Amino acid sequence: MLMPKKVKFRKQQRGRMRGSPQRGASLEFGEYGLQALEPVWMTARQIEAGRIAISRHVKRKGKLWIRAFPWKPVTKKPTEVRMGKGKGDPEFWVDVIKPGRILYEIEGIPENTAREAMRLAAHKLPMRTRFVSRESKELR
Amino acid sequence: MSFKIKGEKREVFGKNASRRLRRNGMIPVILYGAKDVNIPLTLNKKDVFQILRSESGENTVFEVSFNSETMNAMIKDLQKNLVTDEIIHADLIQIALDKAIRISVPVVTVGDAVGVKTEGGFVDFITREIEIECLPKDIPEQIEIDISELHLRQSFKVEEVVLPGEIKLISDPETILFHIEEPAKEEEIEVEEEEEEVIGEEEEPEVIKKEKLEEEEKEEKKEEAKEGEEKKEEKRKEKKKE
Repeated sequence: MLMPKKVKFRKQQRGRMRGSPQRGASLEFGEYGLQALEPVWMTARQIEAGRIAISRHVKRKGKLWIRAFPWKPVTKKPTEVRMGKGKGDPEFWVDVIKPGRILYEIEGIPENTAREAMRLAAHKLPMRTRFVSRESKELR
Repeated sequence: MSFKIKGEKREVFGKNASRRLRRNGMIPVILYGAKDVNIPLTLNKKDVFQILRSESGENTVFEVSFNSETMNAMIKDLQKNLVTDEIIHADLIQIALDKAIRISVPVVTVGDAVGVKTEGGFVDFITREIEIECLPKDIPEQIEIDISELHLRQSFKVEEVVLPGEIKLISDPETILFHIEEPAKEEEIEVEEEEEEVIGEEEEPEVIKKEKLEEEEKEEKKEEAKEGEEKKEEKRKEKKKE
């Protein structure tokens, strides 16, 4: 499972998920991608589940980039513990996803295969997503 | 095909006015490059779409007229809504038709590479655009590259691109445009899948302690001091020589 190797602080405050991403909102590496449409905390397990779904579908063709990384620790208090006595221990890791963020990119496979792989991955994720490609030039 | 677009000079600025414009099918744009002053304009969205849908796309040179003035311009930058893809704002740059300009042009592959057809690889794009210098009338829509002779693990560099006419290459010639890559081996995939199944308690990452940080800072300061001393010595030597 993805998680940082080194951190400056063990625990973090929760923060807000307002606004749009400062970076990571355009296709940089691959031909096709999956874009998030809602703000959400995406856990390391969800990132991994999406990756597995894509790599199983495309088998051993093409190249995959994972653009999300769980850098934020989430703490949790043990069950049946009274309130107080400090913040709980880190339980899992998340990435703060904002609308527009590209989650996965893929290259070297036909569009229909990429579309299906991304659809399968989207079912593992906690937010609405859409398939994006470099060729699509819809104007609005 | 040359486009002629009518624009209006923008008198009102800011978030509210721009939103009102967009609601009425207009796009706020800014025109610059000619004089020291930037000219804020509004353009009709349909006119901008017409330019973007043309063969040369964003690299189209067109005429913008406003307040009895006419200028040749090109789209330099487009701001879009990340989720809806709606055009929010555009930057236009004034173009002198007799002066060469620097511009990025997309690179497109033609033909199926041998490495893909028979050797089972795939085309991995490293760079998708190259920078060129040419007159506005010579701007190519895209640069086509024949990759049919590329084998597995072979790459194509910018220096190998044959440019038509009087087009000058600006990008670094050593930059790799694309190479034919091997797909991941079956063993690697198996190892990955084994890793997937092991989901249990994981160790916490290392916390960078304050002491360590302080030590690192001290080391950095020492290094800086050393460099400073070296520079001083060099200066002394130069003075002595003089």
